[in-house]
Amino acid sequence: MQLLDRESPQRAAVVTGASGWLGRNLVRALVAQGRTVHALCARADEAPLLEVVSPLIHTHVGDVRDPASLDGLFAGTGEVTVFHVAAVIHPASVREFFDVNVGGTELVLDSARRAQAARFVHVSSNSPFGANARPTDRFTEDSPFDPYMGYGASKLEAEQIVTRGHERGDVDAVIIRAPWFYGPYQPPRQSQWFKAVRKGRFPMLGDGTQQRSMVFTEHLVQGLLRAEATPAASGRAYWIADAEPYELRTILATVREALAAEGLPVSGGQPRIPRVAGVVAERMDGLLQSRGKYVQALHVLGELKDTIACDISRARSELGYDPQTSLLDGMRASVRDCLEHGEIL
Amino acid sequence: MSDERGRLLITGGAGYFGSVLADRARAEGHEVRIFDLNPPDDRSTDHVIGDIRDLDALRAACDGVDAILHNVAQVPLAKDRDLFWSVNAVGTANVLLAARDAKVAKVVHTSSSAIFGIPEHNPVVEDTPPRPLEAYGRAKLEGELLCHDAVASGLDVSIVRPRTVLGHGRLGIMAILFEFVADGAPVFVLGSGDNKYQFVHADDLADACLRAARRPGAETYNIGCRDFGTMRETLQSLVDHANTGSHVVSLPAKPAQVAMQALGQSSLVPFAPYHWLLFGESLWFDVSKAERELDWHPTHSNASAVIESYEWFRAHRESLGGDGKSHHQSPAKLGLLKLVKRLPL
Repeated sequence: MQLLDRESPQRAAVVTGASGWLGRNLVRALVAQGRTVHALCARADEAPLLEVVSPLIHTHVGDVRDPASLDGLFAGTGEVTVFHVAAVIHPASVREFFDVNVGGTELVLDSARRAQAARFVHVSSNSPFGANARPTDRFTEDSPFDPYMGYGASKLEAEQIVTRGHERGDVDAVIIRAPWFYGPYQPPRQSQWFKAVRKGRFPMLGDGTQQRSMVFTEHLVQGLLRAEATPAASGRAYWIADAEPYELRTILATVREALAAEGLPVSGGQPRIPRVAGVVAERMDGLLQSRGKYVQALHVLGELKDTIACDISRARSELGYDPQTSLLDGMRASVRDCLEHGEIL
Repeated sequence: MSDERGRLLITGGAGYFGSVLADRARAEGHEVRIFDLNPPDDRSTDHVIGDIRDLDALRAACDGVDAILHNVAQVPLAKDRDLFWSVNAVGTANVLLAARDAKVAKVVHTSSSAIFGIPEHNPVVEDTPPRPLEAYGRAKLEGELLCHDAVASGLDVSIVRPRTVLGHGRLGIMAILFEFVADGAPVFVLGSGDNKYQFVHADDLADACLRAARRPGAETYNIGCRDFGTMRETLQSLVDHANTGSHVVSLPAKPAQVAMQALGQSSLVPFAPYHWLLFGESLWFDVSKAERELDWHPTHSNASAVIESYEWFRAHRESLGGDGKSHHQSPAKLGLLKLVKRLPL
């Protein structure tokens, strides 16, 4: 990597959501740089698994909604960068979006302010922007907000809290917006998706030409580290994704190719359902969310019909962000990681 | 622990294999401390009563220790996915953390051949890719991956993977077999029973663990009898030896597996997934790496190991079933198998 003037600072890092999908990738990258990491883990049984990776990792078991947890996390850390990664994306109820994603961000931001953190890197999402009108459209950092359902509204509100904190001089913040991830340490839902694709059970919604930005976790970690190391990024927001969006049909074909390349039998079948099924799912999802209920399958199906694609030019030019891994290689790394952990895909 | 004698902490040292290992270690002149949920039979042994999920208890037990031999595990009979994870994965992480903090020179982790599921090819060698098929095997695999993480962070950890362990005092699922043989009832193989199935005698395994503890450098060793045969041959040598009128009967493989699964899941018979999946399959290790690098040479064959276990069972049959013993030290309850035993086959 040519970091040049963007060499990562050697200061310690505070990472929320450290035992999650992105968190585990980020924590490993930070300790590989020889840096101390203060990691917030949601569950007690996650902490030892993370600590084994390096003596530089100090875990704290707690919740971003709990000020006492955060006091423990920030106690005696000295000058730090805060990577606020924790969020909930598929909760039990809509209320949780706001408790964790909004309330949690408020508390972590306040802890960072009191700890005089050198930089606050906030992980956001495509969801505050909704969907593109046409498959060829791309979100830029200046696109208007149009939050998609409860998750989108909560991530938008979190961004606004971070932006206000920055403008007030509470913290020196950078916002990173990431689309759909893939990469090592994936959660069960992604493995279920792989499994469904392998067995020929994952539906193609419409003609599959709708486009989706995706981000390999290694790319996203690179983006987070560049955001930390670039002084001029202060107060800015960036899209961090793979170089180009992919058509949905390309994504499904590539996942099949990756599974086959790692030695798994892949079904040739591809069920198709009309795009209108996605529209119906979205309506039902909206109706249920307005009553505080969240149904993951409806939500995923509803989003699947849309183009959600972004333009990473600003991150390239201002952060020197340069995603190099192909979708196939990244998916193969994900499949290998599952197999190495004994998952049956 | 490169010198000949040292202070060893044996986790699970009051359990079936752990107590064999502790006896052998003492006989070789090591100072032994036991960490276990239960006290050892000889209460005068240096021991710490504690739960492997309790990192502070482990830390206290590591004081002044040269090497840790880690044998605590929830075995397949426990049939509890959460216990498999918290004991076999999180518990192993705790051992590795306690070892690192106390600067213990060497850890030997007792793993399991269950990480290989039903292997595509035999013999299974040290770098055959693990493909566990059930929750026990997956948790044991995670334990190994944690060892690799710990090695990368500077700890010296070797992994010993035993085939099914036999020897005096071994009961658990084996008690069913012994009870049938002792009473002259038929014993069963799946299909023809010509699947090559390898056991290991606890003494030989203990020898391998102690040799691994003395050898600096992180390595993995597959451990089993050198002299073994098919499941039918092994059982035939047992019924020949016992001379009780017991004989080996073939059951049609598929229906028998379905019955084991159905009855095991309803807890009417003491079978766990690992048993119905593996009993009729071939799984054997190439043990030449341990022979070469550890100068380890097994003294028992499948036949001698199963006969010795049987004789121990016969001598102690009346006094079995005491409280405070692990799964492998207690006879599995026969349940519905009582009826099977009386079938006029």
